Formats: sequence, structure tokens, C-alpha cells
Amino acid sequence: MAIRLHLDRMLHQRRMSLTELSDRMGISVADLTLLKTGQARAIRFTTLDGLCRELDCQPGELMAFDADEAEV
Amino acid sequence: MRTLGPGSVSSFLKIALEVVHVALWVALGLLLLGAMLVLVFQPFVGSIFVLNLRDLGQSHLARVTVPPAMVALGMLGLAIYAAILVVVFNRLRRIFETLIAGDPFRPQNVARLQMIGVALIGLQLWSYVLSVLAHWTFPSMHASKGVAINPTAWFSILVVFVLAEVFREGARLRQDAELTI
Repeated sequence: MAIRLHLDRMLHQRRMSLTELSDRMGISVADLTLLKTGQARAIRFTTLDGLCRELDCQPGELMAFDADEAEV
Repeated sequence: MRTLGPGSVSSFLKIALEVVHVALWVALGLLLLGAMLVLVFQPFVGSIFVLNLRDLGQSHLARVTVPPAMVALGMLGLAIYAAILVVVFNRLRRIFETLIAGDPFRPQNVARLQMIGVALIGLQLWSYVLSVLAHWTFPSMHASKGVAINPTAWFSILVVFVLAEVFREGARLRQDAELTI
């Protein structure tokens, strides 16, 4: 998958742990880990909405498209 | 009518599957035991197996003495038929268990459905073998001169393989849904 979620970076910038984010969003740590490690196949808009709200960021700051990965 | 839980279609099907599964195992056991007993006590049961069969060439019933070895072979043939049915119903029960658990679209069910399809093909082919053997054994008594193709059975087998592919796609969609956060 060429889309990368920079969840680790945003959590570090906001001084927040994965567990705290999980508690705030009501999503399990296991599911957030799937997002963090790039194993998730799709993300709901409601989840993206929750991430942006809790991490106080824009969707564009959370994710990036890796053109090199897409070519492979 | 509800789809799951007490009083639902699934609960009736579950009972039916369990009953048929047990009945098949009992039938298989009895057939194997019977064949073994007939073979072991062959010298003593020579004149017991006399059948009254309607000869197609005549209007009256004819008495035919069936050798014990043929009886044993016939029982073994039916036992093989029952064994294949046991395989089919065993796989069907496993699929049904996943349905009861609320998660039927698993990759394992694709293989199970394919195995059911292969077993049904085996059943059809074996029934042709039994039919030909019956015709050889009782040529004037057996109406079918050879193999009677049953299109309905073959269409059903095709349906099973198509369902297997449907379940494959269902399993893929299930995995996508699981990995959608």
C-alpha cells in the first residue's frame, strides 16, 4: 500500500500515547496499531475525523502517498 | 422467521444435519459390519439370499439366488456411497458451525465447499459404477442398461462450485472489512 499514515510522528508531536488516543477515540489499541503499522486496508471517514480531532491536525498532515511504493 | 437462534431456519437445519450425520455413520457401520459378517459366515448363509425379482422379459416374479460374495460386495459398494456422504455432511456441518458462530465467510469454507463438490462428483461416478455392476449381475432384472446421466445432479455440483467462488469473494470482502479501521 502506497498510502502511509504518520501516526507515530503525530502522537510524538502531541505528546500522546497510543493508549491515550485509543481511550479518547473509542478504538482499540490493536486497531490503531494496524493503522500505525500500515496493515490496515481502508480507513473510515469517521475514524479519520476522530484522528484529526484528537491529534488536532489536517488529514494531509496524517498521511502521505509514497510514489516509489506505488510503482512497485 | 429468524435467521439465527431458537426457532429459526438455521436451528431446524442444524437438527436435520446432525440427524442425517448420525444416521449416515450408523448406516456405514451396519453396512461394513454386515459385509464382514456375510464374508466370514459365507459357507453357512449360501441359500439365505434369495430375491424375488420381476424379470423384465416375463410377467411373473423370478427367484434369484444371490451368492454371499455378491451380497458382501453390494454392501461394500453401498458403504463406499455412505462414506462419501459422510464426507459431504461432515464438511456441511463445519460450514454450518461457522454460520452459527456468525462468521461464515471464512477462507476454510471455500475449501470445504470445493471438497463437497468433488465428493458429489465421486458420488455420481460411483453410482454409475454400482449401476453397471447391478446390470451385469442381474441383466434381465435391471432396467437401466448402463449409466443413466442425471442432469439435475450435475447442475447441483456446478452450483456448489459456483458457491465456493462466491464464498471466496465473501472471505476477501470479510478480510477487507476486518482491516477497515
